[in-house]
Formats: sequence, C-alpha cells, structure tokens
Amino acid sequence: MSELQKGTQIKSLKFEGLFFQHETQDPILNNADFEFPTNENVLIQSVQGAGKSTLLQILGGLIVPQSGKFLINDDNVVDMSFEEFLPYRLMIGYTFDYGGLINNRTIYDNLMLPLLYHKLVDVEEANRRVMEVLKYFELEKFKDERPAHIPGRVRKISCLLRPMMTHPQVLLLDDPSVGLGQETSLKFIDLINKHRAERGLKHVFISSYDEKFMSHINHITVHLDNGLLYAPQMEGNKAVSL
Amino acid sequence: MNMVWDRIESLGRTITENLEYTLRIFLMIYLSFRAAFLDQTQSLRQTLSVLSTQIYFTGWQAMPLISILALGTGGILVIQGMTNLTLLGGTEMLGNLIVVVLVREVGPLLTALVVIARSGTAVATEVGNMRANREIEALESMGINPLSYIVFPRILGGIVSVLCLAFYFIVIAIFGGYLITQFFHDIPFSFYAENLLRAFGKEDVAIFLLKNGFSGIIIFVVSCFQGLSVQKSPHEVPQVTTQAVVKSIIYVTVFNLAVTAIVYLNQLQKLGVV
Repeated sequence: MSELQKGTQIKSLKFEGLFFQHETQDPILNNADFEFPTNENVLIQSVQGAGKSTLLQILGGLIVPQSGKFLINDDNVVDMSFEEFLPYRLMIGYTFDYGGLINNRTIYDNLMLPLLYHKLVDVEEANRRVMEVLKYFELEKFKDERPAHIPGRVRKISCLLRPMMTHPQVLLLDDPSVGLGQETSLKFIDLINKHRAERGLKHVFISSYDEKFMSHINHITVHLDNGLLYAPQMEGNKAVSL
Repeated sequence: MNMVWDRIESLGRTITENLEYTLRIFLMIYLSFRAAFLDQTQSLRQTLSVLSTQIYFTGWQAMPLISILALGTGGILVIQGMTNLTLLGGTEMLGNLIVVVLVREVGPLLTALVVIARSGTAVATEVGNMRANREIEALESMGINPLSYIVFPRILGGIVSVLCLAFYFIVIAIFGGYLITQFFHDIPFSFYAENLLRAFGKEDVAIFLLKNGFSGIIIFVVSCFQGLSVQKSPHEVPQVTTQAVVKSIIYVTVFNLAVTAIVYLNQLQKLGVV
C-alpha cells in the first residue's frame, strides 16, 4: 500500500441535505439525508433516468453537488480540493457504464496506469496484478491492443477491472453486467468476492437492471425516488426532505 | 431608438462574454500550473514523456511547412527590399527592414498560424474526443488531474515548440532569402550580414521571446479549453475545434498587435515624438 493510501479507511458515507440537479431537469437529489449501508453490496434502484449513475458519480467524487454535505468518515468532501480528496479517491473505484478507457493506451497500459501514476506499487507488483486478471479473464491476447480494436465485451471487462487494480475499499459499479455475457459476469462476481475476502474491499454500490446478475450477489437495496434515498431493510434510515 | 439600445446591449454582451472567456483562459493557465506543482504523484518522467511527444508533433513535424513558408517569405522580402531600397538609395537599411518585418512581426505571426492550423486543431480534437469518450472523467476517477496530466505538458510543449519554430523560421528566412535573392541581385554576404547585425538589438530578443512564448501559451490553452468544453456528444468536437482555431487566431493577433503598439509607442516616446 502506498503512502497515499496508507491509513485511509472509509468507514461511513453519508449525505446531509444534499442537492443536485442537472440543468433544466428535475433534481436528482433533493436535500437528501442518508447514511449509506456499509460493508454490504448495495443495489441502487430507481425508475429509469432517475439519476442512479449520477448518484454513483457523486459518491465517486466525480460530480460536485450544488448544496449540502457529502461526508466520508465525517469529513465533508464537497469542500475539498482535488489534492485533498486524493487519498479518499484512491480508495474508491468507479467503473463506467460505457467509455472510460484511455484510447491512446493499450489495455495493459490502461490497467497499469493508476498503479504506476500514483506509484501505489512497484512495476513488478503492478505487472503481476495486471497479468493475473488478464489471465483470469483470458484477455492476454488483447493486452497490447488499443480499446478501439477489441470486442465490446473485452472493453467492458477492462473498464471494470481497472479500478480494481488499486484494491479499493469502495467499488461503484454502473451497469456492470451490460455486454459482459454470463460467464464473464460470474467470473467478475467471483473477483468481487475475492477482493472482499482478501484485498480490503468493503463497500460495493451497484446500479443495475439485470436481475439475473444481481441474483448471484447477496445485496441490500437502496431506493432513489423523487430525489430522496431510502433503504427499506434498514430501520430508521429514511431520507427526509428539508 | 430601440434599435440603438439593442445594438448597445448586443455590443455590451459581446464585450462581457469575451472578457469572461479571457478570464477563464487565465484561470485555466493558473490552475494547470498549480495542479502540476501540487501533484506530487505525477513524475517528471511522465511529464517529459507527454512534453516530448508534444514537441515532436508540434515542432519537429511542422518544420517542412515552416521551411517552405520561411524561404518564400524571406525571398520575397529580400528581393522586394533590395529592389525598392536601391531605387530609394537606402540599401543599407535592408537589415532594419528584415529585422522589423521578419523577426518582429511576420515570423511570430506566421509561425503561430502554422501551429494553430496543425497542432491547435489536433489538440482541440484530441481533448474533445477524450471528453466525449469519458476519458477525462476516467482520469479524474483514477485520481489523475487532467489539468496537470493533459493541459500543463501541452502548454509547456507549446511554448518550447513555438519558440523553436519561430527561431527556425527566422534563420531559414534570413539565409534562404539571401540565397534566393542571389538569382536577382548580387549582394555580397559580408554587406548583408553586417547590415543585419547592426539592425539587431536587445529589444528584438525580448520581443521574440514575448510574442512567441505567449503565442505558445495562448494556442494550447485555448485549444485545451475548447476541447474540455465538450459536454457529452462527439458531434460537438468539430464545433469546438473550429472555435479553437478562430479564438486562437484572434487572441494571438491581438496580443501581437498589442506588443507591437507598446514597443513602438515606447520608441516614439524615447524619440520625444509623443
């Protein structure tokens, strides 16, 4: 673990009066107060277009809400600069529903990038981690190809694997099963379980409509409805509009 | 009356928008330098890797085009200068004419235009496509600041490339111009060189560095800014690229004009004319 990751533990994720709205659209979060379940696989559920992807982007620090607080371990990260948020960011892995791979780099270089850029591990260890997952998913023959030259399934799994290279504590998966295929999906679930058991992964948040995929994962559900969040399985954790 | 007010309002809006855009450009320069210095994880090797690629594409690959332009411009200037100055009996002013026209004015402007056409468009397209493909977002999600990883090396590469290209342009224009002129006028090289050396001053070095250094900054900041302004769709990329070209040309021309005006006002003041 690098200096940047050392000592950073994500214990809680909490919204306080959080408001976010895309221009000319209804608010995605409307003064939402919510403490996210931790140490769980959490399925974010809502009607289509309600803002699940945006919610994951807020959790990943990729979108700054217009008002309210987003507390990680009681630190309000909304007010943090890029550099201040970096130790948390390196503990959060975010996967894209589409796109996201660096097009002028090979698949191998894409997977190596976060490890080498932040010097999280030495080159040998980075190479070992990358080759291990490439072998596990039988992607070795694509490792020197650029994203434009590979099948969609390989692009998708590469995109899912890149954030896992850094061994994050929080994993945000936006439509992870789309385009993966049954076999790769199951292998990916096994990989999540392995990371949870051995590599410090604690909190997984998933946005998905794929019931078959979700049926293989023990999860609890958080609903995003009219800009508010609530988890029926969790007593007393209902969002309150202020 | 309403028409007059509408025009004033429209003029005011244009001025405000341009001022706001200029402020955003300055802010981006500041933020990218700040990000580069605060980013402790980005190694010098990574910066140098992007920087050298940028210099290769912007500087090295532009040399053939710059050579042709410089030869043409130098040849035309020296032939025209010699012909007209001979008629006026002032051939010893040839050096001054070359320094004023080539080194101070045409060199920086033509070099900037070539860089805008070749590299400004390439950078705006590249960054715009990165934005549309969510690569910028991906970099952020990995804790890589796009301002220090993408913008800063391109600005630095732009400064170095434009300075080198402008120097190359001037050297080729001066010596190439002399060689081409030999077909029409028999000018002794010693006379030509002596004339030029007499005309060069310290302020020419300052003007050269100022105009070309800032052109490099302007072109690449504007191009990156336009590229990053793509919201979601790839169809925006050609639009932002066109805007990058137009805005770069306007900013570079206005900046060159402003520097020239300040320098000549200063000279006139020294001579006691104003």
